[in-house]
Amino acid sequence: MAIVTLQNVTYKYPLTETPVLQNVNLQINEGEFVAVIGPNGAGKSTLCYTLAGFVPHFFKGELTGTVEVAGVETHQSSLNEWVLNVGLAFQNPFNQISGAKYTVFEEIAFGLENIGVPREDIRPRVEKALALTGISDLADRSPYSLSGGQQQRVALTSILVMEPKVLVLDEPTSQMDPIGTREVFGVIRTMAERGMTVVLAEHKVEWIAAFADRVVALKDGQVLLDGKPGDVLTSPTLEEAGFGISRYTSTARKAKEMGLWKKDQLPVTLEEAVEGFSLTPSPSPKERGE
Amino acid sequence: MNNRLSFFVPIQSPLHALNPLTKLALVFAMIALAFFSFPWLAPGLVIPIFIAGLVGKVQNQYFFVVTRLILPTVAFMFIMQSLFLPLGDVTIFAFWIFDVTRESLQAAFITVSRIFVMVSSFTLLLLTTHPSELMTDLTRRGLPPQFAYVIISTLQIIPQMQAKAQTIIAAQSSRGLDTQSTFAKRVGALVPLVGPMVFGSLVEVEERAIAIEARGFTSTRVKTSLKDVPDSRFDQILRWGILVIVILAIISRLWLS
Repeated sequence: MAIVTLQNVTYKYPLTETPVLQNVNLQINEGEFVAVIGPNGAGKSTLCYTLAGFVPHFFKGELTGTVEVAGVETHQSSLNEWVLNVGLAFQNPFNQISGAKYTVFEEIAFGLENIGVPREDIRPRVEKALALTGISDLADRSPYSLSGGQQQRVALTSILVMEPKVLVLDEPTSQMDPIGTREVFGVIRTMAERGMTVVLAEHKVEWIAAFADRVVALKDGQVLLDGKPGDVLTSPTLEEAGFGISRYTSTARKAKEMGLWKKDQLPVTLEEAVEGFSLTPSPSPKERGE
Repeated sequence: MNNRLSFFVPIQSPLHALNPLTKLALVFAMIALAFFSFPWLAPGLVIPIFIAGLVGKVQNQYFFVVTRLILPTVAFMFIMQSLFLPLGDVTIFAFWIFDVTRESLQAAFITVSRIFVMVSSFTLLLLTTHPSELMTDLTRRGLPPQFAYVIISTLQIIPQMQAKAQTIIAAQSSRGLDTQSTFAKRVGALVPLVGPMVFGSLVEVEERAIAIEARGFTSTRVKTSLKDVPDSRFDQILRWGILVIVILAIISRLWLS
């Protein structure tokens, strides 16, 4: 069942001429993990803000078309009700620390306090969320004393703890090392499997291929491609449109031209590439007569 | 950079255990007694404040603030007041154009005692009360959460801004900006430092607004709080007692004068 529906959505920021989103149509099912890719300025962040209700409630501007989440239309709702359904975490972790709290534990409890969760429920929910994202050991630290990657996890946890129906993430791993990225993608995957709908704007295509259910490619505010990660991420359209693609895909495409890649499907991740290449053993030096 | 703009001393003491509102009431009672009751009471109030510092086990930190901050300020005020107050005619000593009279000395002494009492009691409040505990308690009693947020986040964000300023200074001097020579050059160097600082802060404000909005800050539901700030029977009785004492002291002064 579709939980998010965008119909002919066009949006202009105030004081600008060209729309950032143009005629975007998108349906996202409950529990689906959708990754949004696109070059800088393609409208990824704006799409995230739209889903999270900050467009048009916070940024004003001109929004046409309909945005519907969990059966409610954005124009008929207010932001403070909308955020109960849709959680948003974005790129810069430093600015997502509320500044009102002195420890990570209190920081994560901040959202629950705001929406009036009873005190006896706050503590177990925060503890559960901390354990889920693997930052229980940071609970008593000051949020400002943490590294960028740790702060990003705190930001993600403080949204997860509110248990939104739809989780919107705008490059939540930008400051993380590969190990941190893997763990966070694992957490997001788990949330999706538990029924949370996830929309993730992200550059790291290899991770998307390994974890997401579906990929939406945005270009100049329009949906260019929409489909399974393996299809979208290896599509030649993507490379022509100037998207960053996986080095495994581009290598395999070259290999295919030379007849060294026999499968129909091009790889996105290292694992897929290893598997594909191993199917075509290249002639050994001896066989070539050297 | 882990320092926060807070005087709070995290220990346990009878004063720490009081409800924040009770302590706030004590502070305002001290100020009311010092300013509106008998003038000769003000110097005497210093004694209960010292005792409170001992009870709160923060006498060292309190003494530090008194010697570094409060005493220099009130000493300066005392000199100015005794020189310039045009009171009385019993000249104690005179030099150049100044006459220091007995009355002006007395008035100056009362004024600085009042200031001392006011600043001292606030210092003790800050030393023994965690800012977020104070704000949680006041928010529960009807203070707008936006107001509490502004206070607390300012206390936390100012040290962060200082750290950021240091980063910008380091970045600009590594590109050859002169921040350490003559006065004129330093003033000129301000422009490339202040620019990024101000514009960066504007962007930050927007993002922070989004972040706290995403966490339901403006929600119309009744807020709860993680921490329970205890408000004992003793606290409530103490607050009423304070109120009665202050009213009696002010009335008796009006009555007798």
